[in-house]
Amino acid sequence: MAKVDVTPQEFVMVTFDAARIAELAAEVADKVGLPADTVLQLEVDEQEPLGRTTVLSIDPISIKVEGGAFEDAKRPRQMSDRGIVDVLGRLLFRIKDRLDPAFGSPPDDGELTMQQQTAWDAYAVGRAERAGLPTQKARRLYHFRNRHGFSDVADAVFARLWDADSLTWAEIETACTETASAREAVA
Amino acid sequence: MKRILPVEELARDERFVRVRMEERFNDPRAAAGGTAARVGKGFRPEARNAPDRARALMHGIFVGEIQALEGAGRTVWDFEVGKGKEEVPFELKLDMARQCWDESRHCEISVKLGDWMGTEIGEFAESTFLYEAACNPDPVLRLTGVNRALEGLAIDVFNTMKDFGAGSGDPVLEFCEDWMLADEVTHVKMGSDWLRRITEKDPERRANALEFQRVVDKLFSGGGFRGEGDDSPIKLARRFRELAGFTTEEVDDIAADSVESRREAEARIAAARAGT
Repeated sequence: MAKVDVTPQEFVMVTFDAARIAELAAEVADKVGLPADTVLQLEVDEQEPLGRTTVLSIDPISIKVEGGAFEDAKRPRQMSDRGIVDVLGRLLFRIKDRLDPAFGSPPDDGELTMQQQTAWDAYAVGRAERAGLPTQKARRLYHFRNRHGFSDVADAVFARLWDADSLTWAEIETACTETASAREAVA
Repeated sequence: MKRILPVEELARDERFVRVRMEERFNDPRAAAGGTAARVGKGFRPEARNAPDRARALMHGIFVGEIQALEGAGRTVWDFEVGKGKEEVPFELKLDMARQCWDESRHCEISVKLGDWMGTEIGEFAESTFLYEAACNPDPVLRLTGVNRALEGLAIDVFNTMKDFGAGSGDPVLEFCEDWMLADEVTHVKMGSDWLRRITEKDPERRANALEFQRVVDKLFSGGGFRGEGDDSPIKLARRFRELAGFTTEEVDDIAADSVESRREAEARIAAARAGT
């Protein structure tokens, strides 16, 4: 099982539990299929109620999240197991892709277009669902439509990405090109 | 049946979880500059988290519609017909009954919009401020607090989200907002008309009602959340407010209060960061 280090160990502004976060992160890493000796560093910015996430490095894996990413949307300042699993499932599947030479060489996260980002997320979260992690498919579809267009072409591409188990970065780029053509045709 | 039903007794199933306003306002992260640090960022489709922000905002509108239905329904029941201060004209009750019909339709629209946006019913916490404003024992204050201040805020939100839907290419969001916006203008107009008619010969009562409205308005302009600045997440819908019976001066006051509220929030952030 992956070794997870969470900082801080004690939270003062929110009622998060570092040990529980580490336990859930290790379980997700296993379900994603990362090696058992994976080391994962998780930094939680408890002062920020928003949910931005940043992958600082992939070897070793280091992720920074704003507290809102792990927060229960119904209960301010309380931790959500489901939220933690949802966020880490998506991020760890993408990290796993980056660690796989056969996947190809996607740009750095900060260089990804919103179309590339949501296409890759659809591929990642679809696999997370099949790995037994809780996901929100309709929410992901809405994100995808916002970036790729509200069209039958976009919906078909989303379904393909969601159901896929082994794609390359080139295939994700092709998916983005397909929806871009459909958007241009409408415009 | 009980009059003035307390907020704690509203019927909800297990999907809904309420959050008190005090809880939100006393969040230590806001005092530390965390929450407020990004208040004032515009609500634009191209923002990375825009779809999720839109989902959360529209869920807030959904629970607001439920409470608006409950509030208008209570106003039909809570007051006897008459000319006393705790009584209302029969025609006001008719207007509130019509509003119940509109709010019911808005609830149904909001549920379907939530399905479309990938939002589960009860996914986000429910704030009950709208219903709480609808518990005011003075019918005039109730109408100014709910129909003018909070339904006025709804005009601003629907107009902003209609533009957001058009900008993101989401036809369902755009049309839902447009249709609900039309009803909100009517509801605010009802509030404006009844305020003038009931307080026609009672300037003190009118002043009190407008003061209550201003307090509610200022509360929901928090940190510049709603205003006329380019970076205000929710834009003040000047034209629709005028159609709903607001004077230019009244809209100017809301805009000015928003600017002041923004300055106060920025000062709080600066103080928090300086460790004072």
